[in-house]
Amino acid sequence: MNAEELKERIRGSLTELVRYADELRDLDQALGDGDLGITVTLGAEAVIEAVSALPDSATPADIARECAKAFANANPSTMAALVAGGLLAGSKTWTELTEITVCDAAGFVRTAGENIAKRGKTVLGDKTILDSIMPAADALDEASDGASGLVAAIAGAERGVVDTTPLQSRRGRASWLQERSIGLQDPGATAFLRFLESWRVTSDERHASS
Amino acid sequence: MKKILNEPDHFVDEMVEGILLAHPNQLKTPGEDLRIMVRADAPVSGKVGIVTGGGSGHLPLFKGYVGKGLCDGVAIGNVFSSPSSQQCFEATVAVNGGAGVLYLYGNYGGDVFNFDLAADLAELEDIPTRTVLGRDDVASQPKERKTDRRGVAGIFFAYKAAGAAAERGDKLEQVAAVAEDVVEHTATMGIGLSPTILPTTGAASFELLDGEMEIGIGIHGEPGIHRGELDTEDAIADRIVTALVGDLELTSGDRVAALVNGLGATPLEELYILYRRVHQVLSGLGVEIVRSYVGEYATSLEMAGASISLLVLNDERLALLNAPASSPFFQEV
Repeated sequence: MNAEELKERIRGSLTELVRYADELRDLDQALGDGDLGITVTLGAEAVIEAVSALPDSATPADIARECAKAFANANPSTMAALVAGGLLAGSKTWTELTEITVCDAAGFVRTAGENIAKRGKTVLGDKTILDSIMPAADALDEASDGASGLVAAIAGAERGVVDTTPLQSRRGRASWLQERSIGLQDPGATAFLRFLESWRVTSDERHASS
Repeated sequence: MKKILNEPDHFVDEMVEGILLAHPNQLKTPGEDLRIMVRADAPVSGKVGIVTGGGSGHLPLFKGYVGKGLCDGVAIGNVFSSPSSQQCFEATVAVNGGAGVLYLYGNYGGDVFNFDLAADLAELEDIPTRTVLGRDDVASQPKERKTDRRGVAGIFFAYKAAGAAAERGDKLEQVAAVAEDVVEHTATMGIGLSPTILPTTGAASFELLDGEMEIGIGIHGEPGIHRGELDTEDAIADRIVTALVGDLELTSGDRVAALVNGLGATPLEELYILYRRVHQVLSGLGVEIVRSYVGEYATSLEMAGASISLLVLNDERLALLNAPASSPFFQEV
């Protein structure tokens, strides 16, 4: 995937992702402060605008950096800061690249996840966004091409969401609920799953139109 | 609730406007955003810049320590909430004189997230940054977990020392090392008598019965290590000083700087009565107070209470404390 395709996919998938804003808000209201819907909506709009304003010479790493800055500023929150920091860390793995392979995507997602883990002082099983990011990174790592990698990544992320629902939240506001968090689906992990699903919708549309 | 207020949502912006109008020769805002304030002469070419920041409601913390020989800029959050990463980043750009920027602020989750992200953004602009966290509140975590402690009034010592180091021309690594060294040798403990009232909600930050005190309270009303009947001032001082002496492992012959800080609604008279006892107890242990500071250095709106901070001194730290500094809220001549 080249820079132009990357921009198009980002715009398409974030337009799709906003459709899940109410679901994310409701999940976050049960476990946190309910601002995840707004974070995703305002963040997606800001990223789409920022990506559209980039010059044609922008590399994939430039694009990822612009996404990070736009997302962080759109609605400053802990989630926005963590995701933006992850995107910036991921962008460093793309330095010099003009074409993104599934292997590059895996490296990006893993590095972003590791940055989120470090900044958020969180580990797998704490019931956070990390629980859908890391299985997706593993799936992309093992994939031979983008399309099958994406399908496997979605399956991995979904498993992360489902498997952590019976667990107790151990980070962030959700952890204040202690055992009452058991049985509630994690909004952060769900947000990353919905992002991957939205990414797949854009690829389906591309195939349908071509 | 009884407060001198306009629209509660304008509390922070109107306060910043007031500070800028009152001290136009010392402070300015570099752009449109009132939530960033820097020294009037920023950026100082060739000097390491120091940016601090955090929630409002603690004056003179954090905004009050922007000035010559202190910090260069501050990112200003809402009451008890973090500034945004963009505000931290814009403060960084505004104070960068080409020698890099030190982030020096209290150890609170939201502030750490946003300053860390600002550091990422600064890196993209080729501005090197280092981070040192104030973490002096000994009541917030036991000594084995001291890196997780909250930052409270004792960060004043780190501002003073790092600010002096930057002013004398130290490089970024050295200024960061000075700040880290001072944080490492500072300990603070507080006592709360009445809660803070948040301007936006009008709600009290915690509840405390009449006649009760909370020892080890944080500057946002975080619970401490002991709640009980209000003791005499001497008994309170004894209890806190004993904890600080133990934490810093002070022994006869040591020299310290002592800061007795009011949390907002406690009169200076009571602070001096506290200081009197701190001095007596330390003298009895053979510990000499070489520098003393009594007043409001880090408050929690109108919380009644006080905190005591000690910094273990050596010649270097003392020289940095004694170096000149000047802000609208603090002077060292």
